[in-house]
Amino acid sequence: MSWQAVIVGMLPENLLLAGMVAIIVLEIAGGPRRAALPLAVLAVAAATLAALLLALAGAEGAPFPGQFSVTPPTLLAKAIVIGLALPVLLLSSDEFSGGEFHLLLLASLYGVCLLLSSDSFLTLFLGLEIMSLPVYALVLLAFRRPQSAEAALKYLVLSGAASATFLLGVSFLYGGTGSLGIEAFAVALEASEPMAVAAVALVVIAFFLKAAVVPFHTWAPDAYEGASIPVTAYMATVVKAGAVLALLRLFGTAPLSPRAIELLAILPLVSIVWGNLAAMRQPGFRRMIAYSSIAHAGYLFYAFLGAGAGRFQAVVFYVLAYGLTNLAAFASIPAAADDAARDRLDSLKGLFQREPYAALVLAMAMLSLAGIPPFPGFVAKFLVFKNVMAAGYTTYAVLGLVASYLGIYFYLRVVQYAFMSAPEAVPAPGTVGRAALAASVLCLAPVVLLTLFPGWVIALL
Amino acid sequence: MSDAALLNVVLWLPVAGMLAIAALPKGADDAVRWLAFAVMVAQLLATAALYGRFDPAVAGLQFETRVPWIPDWGVHYQIGLDGYNVLLVMLTAFLGPLVVAGAFSAIRQDVKLFHAMVFLIQFAMLGTFVAQDLFVFYVFWETMLIPMFVIIGVWGGERRIYATLKFVLYTAFGSILMLAAVIYLVWALYQASGEVSFAFADLYRVALPVDVQALLLAAFALSFAIKVPMVPLHTWLPDAHVEAPTAGSVILAGVLLKMGTYGFMKLGFPLFPEATRLAIPLVMALSVVSIVYGACLALVQTDIKKIIAYSSISHLGYVMLGLASLDLLGIQGAVIQMVSHGLTAAGLFLMVGMIYERCHTRDLAAYGGLAKALPVYSVFFMILTLASVGLPTTSGFTGEFLVLAGAFRSSWLAFQAGGSGFNLAMASLAVAGVVLGALYMLWFAQRFLFGAAKVPHAPVPDLNLREKLVLAAIVAAVFALGLYPAPAMEKTELAAKEYQRLVAGAPAAKQARAEGSAR
Repeated sequence: MSWQAVIVGMLPENLLLAGMVAIIVLEIAGGPRRAALPLAVLAVAAATLAALLLALAGAEGAPFPGQFSVTPPTLLAKAIVIGLALPVLLLSSDEFSGGEFHLLLLASLYGVCLLLSSDSFLTLFLGLEIMSLPVYALVLLAFRRPQSAEAALKYLVLSGAASATFLLGVSFLYGGTGSLGIEAFAVALEASEPMAVAAVALVVIAFFLKAAVVPFHTWAPDAYEGASIPVTAYMATVVKAGAVLALLRLFGTAPLSPRAIELLAILPLVSIVWGNLAAMRQPGFRRMIAYSSIAHAGYLFYAFLGAGAGRFQAVVFYVLAYGLTNLAAFASIPAAADDAARDRLDSLKGLFQREPYAALVLAMAMLSLAGIPPFPGFVAKFLVFKNVMAAGYTTYAVLGLVASYLGIYFYLRVVQYAFMSAPEAVPAPGTVGRAALAASVLCLAPVVLLTLFPGWVIALL
Repeated sequence: MSDAALLNVVLWLPVAGMLAIAALPKGADDAVRWLAFAVMVAQLLATAALYGRFDPAVAGLQFETRVPWIPDWGVHYQIGLDGYNVLLVMLTAFLGPLVVAGAFSAIRQDVKLFHAMVFLIQFAMLGTFVAQDLFVFYVFWETMLIPMFVIIGVWGGERRIYATLKFVLYTAFGSILMLAAVIYLVWALYQASGEVSFAFADLYRVALPVDVQALLLAAFALSFAIKVPMVPLHTWLPDAHVEAPTAGSVILAGVLLKMGTYGFMKLGFPLFPEATRLAIPLVMALSVVSIVYGACLALVQTDIKKIIAYSSISHLGYVMLGLASLDLLGIQGAVIQMVSHGLTAAGLFLMVGMIYERCHTRDLAAYGGLAKALPVYSVFFMILTLASVGLPTTSGFTGEFLVLAGAFRSSWLAFQAGGSGFNLAMASLAVAGVVLGALYMLWFAQRFLFGAAKVPHAPVPDLNLREKLVLAAIVAAVFALGLYPAPAMEKTELAAKEYQRLVAGAPAAKQARAEGSAR
């Protein structure tokens, strides 16, 4: 371990840490509370940029050998995941004024970074917990509503269960191999002793719980609904991406045994079907997004069926397209008198007449999430299913595609509300805030780029 | 400017128009309309220049552009004109200004969004026609859904939400299975040759076992047959047409439906020739069912828009019959019939829109004797009706006659060679469709134009100059194609031969094809 490697290799993490320290100092010194947001934005933007530049420069190294290492692909994934937090921060400016939100968010991001670079189960677990613990508090921050406490508790308990499952699996692995290195997982994937099989199943299920895959999804709709809009956006994009990318790190490029295939194909497939079906019946935006994100978790894990090298590309591109469009959708939800009114899908009726820009962005986001070309969601989905088919699982690919068809209706319903329905005569609906507008522009620019030139990004991965 | 660059200009001009409209201030509705019209006219002029320079003696692609788009997957932005698409591109560009002009007074709400969507669909339709890369084709193909969804859903009639969702969900289902087939096909090419390519030319070479071909053809055909639409997958069409605004109906009938038949001709049948040859009796039977059933349904409608909607099903049945005949005349006739139906159906829908704007009803029983009240309108309507029926000297005659001649010739030869008489029976039945077609259209015209004068909201003004010009343009094209089809047929001849060779392909021809397109 050299100090230089720690400072340079962990630059994104260090910048996040510096941001946290600065916010804490600001709070202690009683500085202006409004300064927390620019500080956090600065730290996250700097960390994104650092990760991106390091990735493009081909930085490679192990600041903490055996625990933490960086390679250009992981740095790129890190840049994408940290970058997704920028719109979240901007979204928060209408809801949270204090420094708590920003501090917690940066801490959680730090955990995501650890996850993506971990070489041992210890670091991985540390990252998982650092990522999740602040989120319980973030859910609770919207204390104005009684559902928040319930949502936070539900999330806490089920996430705890996931951690316990994960630890049990890891202890099995350790018992079998005597190693805590994540390579042990790839070895166990191919092994057939009951201990190894159980270990793999437990670890995978722990991540299914974290990423809300059917049947481990029931916490998600309640938690998403209980949280405030920026926190929901954060959970649906960054936290989900963190969990999927962490599991991807464990799988690496290892070939899958037939048992693992069943686990990674059938539950995600059920997830796609159930998430899309249940989303059709939701009257609230956040619950709908929750079920939509359950379906998208299905696609993300489907990508694991692909052959080794393509998995990373498919997952990262999917995370990028899905995260950007999801955040753009959240940024387009107009403010309203109270949170419940803001959440109702009915309040989107006639949005185009009131806010043409927001309505167009929302429509674009919905169509992209539905996987309709030319938006990046289509390319992402295509990449996933192309890999699945190229790995020889034609039936699963066809089933997955047909299941994805189920999702088109409820996304189109949002477009229909925004463009084709007369506005309801409820108390004057609010407008889209300026910060939210900035957030949506921040999402829109890369989406346009991904629409026109998907080849550039795919070549980078 | 080189011709290839000009084709790119034609394709991307609608996008430029869309951006220009977005930049105009809110409320400048007339500026939006005129700008849209100007851009469409510019596009038409550019397309006409390309059409004039299209060399009928050259086989294969002309004005080709091929640049890598997603290099990792071998996806190229590859566009070009060939005998398959040149007439359809011309048709699309020709109808563009007419759609905008036809909507001048009809669209009063969200004018900017409307014209942006018309531009978007124009872009997507042209892109679908000129794309020579399956990935690019699929992207354009699916993109078409979005503007049509909005056009029907925002400016449509009372049940517009139901109609537009039905349209999108119907077509999207077909597309999803086609996507699976596309991925499988490309993967099969990679396995066979080690190259990753989505280019049509490369994909024609994939030799698959016939059972796999049948499955893939079924997936492609489902998507295309929904778009055509062929009975029994037609049920979305009447709803979409009746609820759509006039411009939506014109685009739908004029160009969008041809996507399905074009897809069959360019992709579905040539990609899977063995399976296609097995499926030809089925395709012929479904075509004839479409012709006859569509005509029968049109006969009993009381909504004038529905009559024309069902007549579309019938007319596109001829196109499919021509494609399935694998006879040179039949194939060329199919292409002419596509264009002809694009012109007559677009014209008739425009005329229905014009009368609806004046009288606010589409109930046929409410009308009668328009010939006295609206003489100019009636003359145009009668001409288009006769063209739709296939009166000699109009484009409808050229198309239907060639299709039927081709279908007869090929099935008669097959019958003489000892084949079953099924195809011959189908071709004979299709003639009955011509009679039915004349019956429902003339009966419709008789009740509509003649008899006791009944005009709701009378007195109504006759056509104004704008409307006269729009219809005169369509009628001129109808007669041009009817009286002098030779230049158009020349341009399609080599493509029709190639299609014939790809699908019917004798073993020797297949060999030559494999060598010829290896590059």
